[in-house]
Amino acid sequence: MFDRRWIYLLVALAVIFPLIVPATFKVHITPEARQLFDAIEALPDSSIVMLTFDYYPSTLAETEPISVAALHHLFRKDCRVLTMTTIPLGGPSIAERVTRALAKEHGKVYGVDYVNLGFKYNYVAVLKGMGTSIEAIYPMDNSSTPLSELPMMESIRNYDDISFIFVVSDNAIVDYWISIVNAEYATPVGIGVTAVSAPKYYAFISSGQVTGLLGGMKGAAEYERLVKAEGMALKGMAMQSLVHLLIIALVIIGNIGFFASRRARRRATA
Amino acid sequence: MRRVAPVIIAFLSGFVTVISFCFNPDKTVLGGIEPRVLSWVTIVGGFTLLLGVVSITRVNWQAVHRKKEGWPYKFLTLVAMYVMAVPAMLPSSWSPLFGDAEGSIYDWLFMHIDAPMMGTMFAMLAFYIASAAYRAFRARNPESTLLLAAAVLVMLWRVPMGEAFLRLFGENVPGFINTYLMNGVNAAVQRGIVIGAALGAASMSLRIMLGIERTYMGKG
Repeated sequence: MFDRRWIYLLVALAVIFPLIVPATFKVHITPEARQLFDAIEALPDSSIVMLTFDYYPSTLAETEPISVAALHHLFRKDCRVLTMTTIPLGGPSIAERVTRALAKEHGKVYGVDYVNLGFKYNYVAVLKGMGTSIEAIYPMDNSSTPLSELPMMESIRNYDDISFIFVVSDNAIVDYWISIVNAEYATPVGIGVTAVSAPKYYAFISSGQVTGLLGGMKGAAEYERLVKAEGMALKGMAMQSLVHLLIIALVIIGNIGFFASRRARRRATA
Repeated sequence: MRRVAPVIIAFLSGFVTVISFCFNPDKTVLGGIEPRVLSWVTIVGGFTLLLGVVSITRVNWQAVHRKKEGWPYKFLTLVAMYVMAVPAMLPSSWSPLFGDAEGSIYDWLFMHIDAPMMGTMFAMLAFYIASAAYRAFRARNPESTLLLAAAVLVMLWRVPMGEAFLRLFGENVPGFINTYLMNGVNAAVQRGIVIGAALGAASMSLRIMLGIERTYMGKG
């Protein structure tokens, strides 16, 4: 058996090596990522799209590239973007930082082209409440400006005025976006989630409750390729490839050792 | 009364919200109750956050004051909480260091301490998963062999290098994994789990509304 420190060293090398010797790989597009891209692409220009930043800083590597690629797509299509978060720890800051940076790049104006609602406590109440009135739940935006003073919000009352909801999340909040917002208000919901939680949402794709799915950094890389905006996810594919292959190799070596020792034990007892 | 009143409140809150769901909120009084109750939940939730802050302060301060074991960590907890929270609550009109905008104390602490620490904790999982996969992922019986084979296929499919390797066996192999493994077997199992969990949540809600489940009162 390997000492676990050797395994840790191999994992570290698999992560560091692609940083020293950068390599790019062809990323194939899955039907789920294509579905999400096509749904956004099919929206009329200047549609209102809600983009959520429902993730903690711990999963930024997987989720932030999804948010960045989504904003590139939405701003290029001249969609008006409404951002919000259900995560108190950092969610508002992440939304503010990412959206402002991308808005600057695309020449978008706060209050006209995009608004950050920020965070409000109790996501179930927030999600349900916005179905009746967004302003009742969020009287002010993240910078404490009353929504009534923001031109973009004049035409947005509730989910009826939102054409699409793009949920980027690292937790089970996605379940509520599906079961409350999609099921009760029929607003289309597309999702970008961490790789570990992606398998759960394939069931909602086939039932039509979710319009498109991006799973982890690979999903983000697919979307970056679709919107032709190479970012951290496409760059990270080399590292992720090496680490995955390393783990598969370790599993194979571990099993070879397991079968060899089992055979030796059987021979010894025979 | 201490036992009955919470059950009556829980029953009425649940019952009224369920009934209200069936009526139009714009046209009927009953339908308008649900959004109002939800606003109350948000307001009450805000107070529970305050309660949490008071509780953390009280418990940790007592430990610091009495110099209990590990008190320096508890002191650090208090310092971290107040140094992060107080400048964020002060109005940014006083100083650009206050509030939570870019360039504020809160933003700096979040971006340069909180986010890297949380990222580090999460990234360390990669090392443990690699080690655990090597030690524990064994083809001991048919079930674990099936699981192992599925895991290896999905791990290959989810990265470009692995996908390129799978395409050596046929251009349609990655599509086959997506269609039959993820959208087939996986989706069916996940659907079963989700339906089971939803039924469990519904029955638990009923138990709470009917007063059978009372652990939320701090009693069995």
